[in-house]
Amino acid sequence: MMNMAQARHIAPNMPTRKVPAPRAARAISPKTVDTLVQIAVVALLAGIWEFSARFGALNPFLLPPLSVVLGRIWEDLLAGTVLVDLGLTLYRALLGFVIGAVIGIPAGILMARSAVMRWFLDPLVSIGFPMPKIAFLPIFILWFDIYDTSKIIMVSFSCFFPIVAATYAGCSGLDKWPIWSARSLGAKERELLWEVYLPMAMPQIITGLQVALPTGMITTIVTEMLMGGRGVGGSMIMAGRFADSVGVFAGIVQIIILGFVVVKSLEIVRRRLLIWHPESRR
Amino acid sequence: MSMTHASAAPRQGAHLASGISISNVSHSYGAQGGGGMLALDGINLEIGDGEFHCLLGPSGCGKSTLLYLVGGFIPVQSGVISTAAGPVTAPGPDRSIVFQNFALFPWKTVKDNVLYGLKKAGYPSAEREERAQRYIDMVHLTGFENSYPSQLSGGMQQRAAIARTLAVDPGILLMDEPFGALDAQTRRVMQEELRAIWRDSRKTVVFVTHDVQEAVFLADRISIMSARPGRIQHIIDVNLPKDRGEEILENREFIGLSEHIWRLVREQAVAATRGVH
Repeated sequence: MMNMAQARHIAPNMPTRKVPAPRAARAISPKTVDTLVQIAVVALLAGIWEFSARFGALNPFLLPPLSVVLGRIWEDLLAGTVLVDLGLTLYRALLGFVIGAVIGIPAGILMARSAVMRWFLDPLVSIGFPMPKIAFLPIFILWFDIYDTSKIIMVSFSCFFPIVAATYAGCSGLDKWPIWSARSLGAKERELLWEVYLPMAMPQIITGLQVALPTGMITTIVTEMLMGGRGVGGSMIMAGRFADSVGVFAGIVQIIILGFVVVKSLEIVRRRLLIWHPESRR
Repeated sequence: MSMTHASAAPRQGAHLASGISISNVSHSYGAQGGGGMLALDGINLEIGDGEFHCLLGPSGCGKSTLLYLVGGFIPVQSGVISTAAGPVTAPGPDRSIVFQNFALFPWKTVKDNVLYGLKKAGYPSAEREERAQRYIDMVHLTGFENSYPSQLSGGMQQRAAIARTLAVDPGILLMDEPFGALDAQTRRVMQEELRAIWRDSRKTVVFVTHDVQEAVFLADRISIMSARPGRIQHIIDVNLPKDRGEEILENREFIGLSEHIWRLVREQAVAATRGVH
């Protein structure tokens, strides 16, 4: 996931060099050009999908045309099922993500600030971070339920590790100068956390959140697929069981859109929170 | 909350300038009580009330360590450092500091940086605003109140840091090579401004530098420190006019004193390079 996130950050800069701004269109900023080129690329791929499926290059059962898939989403939208599925998936992903953050950020801070917490949590995080968290799903189903609770806990569990690791990294080895400045200006020890440590670690904490959020989305879809019921993942599995390839692709397109919106929203939040950071002025 | 009210008490009188008494202070890094690296060895120094004192010495002589001890940022291991407020145990706004790398809060605008200390000191909001603006104007950053540090040049960032420190009206101003990262022209202007600010506000200033000319230009007295372990080798009185501008650089006394001090420092610098290798 990190590679994809990085690639997305790097990619927008590449086309600018190749597209010389025409003198007449001075008003169009390089950023707009980037966006237009990116939209064009997506449109091109969509076009290739549509026409190759429509004109027999591919079996329309294996790859139904995009227009048919979009038509299905539209029908389901009118019937209301799409919004229910998307809403449920979004609810599980976001609630799980928020719980992961609410536990992960303080845990990371504690690890950075207290040796006892570090002794206790560091081995757990080191083991847990690389582990495939989904392996715990059967246990969570036994412990909790087969409905929302186990899904949401599964999502929190998988979001927790990238968040705690990033917060820990962000809060340890902080530059001492702003801390000393704050103390010399009269800050009390207990005020430093909110007023200095957290703002200083914020870029890394948000990076952790940006890694965790797509992980949480994936976990949501996978748990839905494994456990069934409503939600985009569950509906896709149902469609698959009925050999409804259009339904499966409709689910994929919904996931793509949902993931895009959610990840972009977090990018906007980042830009808002880090308005002071040099990265925001690039 | 009760703490906020308690700290609001001393604001009327601001912080009174105070002398600093450093007696028999030694400091070592690393393992304490043997095996550590001795950075300061038996420092005795009396800095007078309202004096501009420069600590001058080669890199690694412990002059910054001494300043951090006075600031209360690192605990005193042996000996005593005291001001009018008593022995130094922790940092406080009576001894505010400007660091070489500015150390502004990068997530706050220039104005919010300056306001930070004023809020801590418990100034009421209207007075806070007025005071912040006054000090921003004083360091010629008018118009940059809402800029973030990363949008400013090094010289401007350092001026903002100085405004932030002066705004809380510390009795003792500690400066750790504050102009070290600036270009030569900005540096000269800042030195003149600092000298003017000090003359008008009568604070005690302890200024760490390795630049001989800077020390002679700014100081009333200069402590020349030896290479590691740091000791105070010479204390030199600078008997130059109180008002010092560009013209003083051609003053024969200034040149003579600079050369004299340079020879003293050079011995230490040579010793320091030998010590390193």
